Amino acid sequence: MSTLWKEFSKGLWRDLPPFRLVLGLCPVLAVTKTADNGLGMGLAVIFVLTLSNVFVSLLRNIIPSKVRIACFIVIAASLVVCVELLMQAFAYPLYQQLGIFVPLIVVNCIILGRAEAFASKNTVLMSTADGLGLGIGFALSLTFLGALRETFGYGTLFGKSVMWSGFEPFTFMIEAPGAFVCLGLVLAAMNALTNWQRGVKGLEAVEGPKHDCKACGMCNTPLK
Amino acid sequence: MMEMIRMVLVLSLICGASGFTLATIRDATAQRVEEQELTYVQGPALNQIFSDIDNNPVKDRARIADAQGQEHIVFPARKDGKLVGVAFQSFGKGFGGDLGIMVGFAVDQGGKNELAGIGVTTMKETPGVGTRITEGDFRNQFVSHPLDDVALKSGGGDIAAVSGATVSSTGAVAAVNHAIKTFNEIKDKIPSEFGS
Repeated sequence: MSTLWKEFSKGLWRDLPPFRLVLGLCPVLAVTKTADNGLGMGLAVIFVLTLSNVFVSLLRNIIPSKVRIACFIVIAASLVVCVELLMQAFAYPLYQQLGIFVPLIVVNCIILGRAEAFASKNTVLMSTADGLGLGIGFALSLTFLGALRETFGYGTLFGKSVMWSGFEPFTFMIEAPGAFVCLGLVLAAMNALTNWQRGVKGLEAVEGPKHDCKACGMCNTPLK
Repeated sequence: MMEMIRMVLVLSLICGASGFTLATIRDATAQRVEEQELTYVQGPALNQIFSDIDNNPVKDRARIADAQGQEHIVFPARKDGKLVGVAFQSFGKGFGGDLGIMVGFAVDQGGKNELAGIGVTTMKETPGVGTRITEGDFRNQFVSHPLDDVALKSGGGDIAAVSGATVSSTGAVAAVNHAIKTFNEIKDKIPSEFGS
């Protein structure tokens, strides 16, 4: 039971997909203009990720390793088409908003990444927990980023006005560059929080990658 | 050899199962998807044309074939149970691809018909230039227009083109004329389909 909880909860903080693993950024940046869109996209990803993990895990012993990637993609693609059809039938306005990004869930690296790294090696129960956890983490991150951008970009949250009257929206926030800036700020905040937590525990702070000339070699500056 | 057969077999089985599942789901949702599509893509255009009606044109739609046997989805507009107009979609050539125009016809009981108005359903026109054909200034010229001589002023008619968007305006007028031609072919079938 405790391992099951561990697999589930790691997606909620420790391996939070967009902010910790920094994976699957395409929809994160593209569809988070509003909290509604972020949540809708997140729900679609929860559905696809969980079921793809379940099917991959169920079939893991009969899928030959040489064609495993093809099999994973077929499974993910079928689930995505399911979501697309269901969304068209029951949430058409959301479908119009998300547009091309629903079919693009197929190539979201989280789906294939979890199938390859986790579901193909673990039991169905564990894979379900893993998919659900990471999916929920992804949905929460998207909703959070969407809420942030919607609040400052439109002055609304889930379509309801939340800012004072006379508030002038920062249109920048709902444009593409605003997505990058927001994501950067959230990542910075996450890193600051991690280092603060480590400080409380008495551990040394994690530093970012050190860029010296050894890592690059583009110019001929002599190495220090 | 065994491994190769196994690879082919497993992949074919998975693809087959996926194809079967998707076909089933597609069948099951097809009708609802069509209705949603019509409500959200064509519905707004219909509302622009017929403001004073009390039925749901999307729900009451019917397919009617024209003289060439091509089927059109026709939307009836009713007020107090009486048929006041019909509308259907027609296409013209816009600046950025096909221009979808919903053309409404007011069905007059005396036997004389006229345009009830137009609404844009799909387009890829230049934002701020061609897209101005969706504005009232252009659209309202079609309201209560007789069914003949629909043409731009440059072509001897009385429709003023949107300045700077001659191609989009021409496309819209062509779509309306195409719809009028279709309407004349199917108008005899309308009473039997929708009553009067």
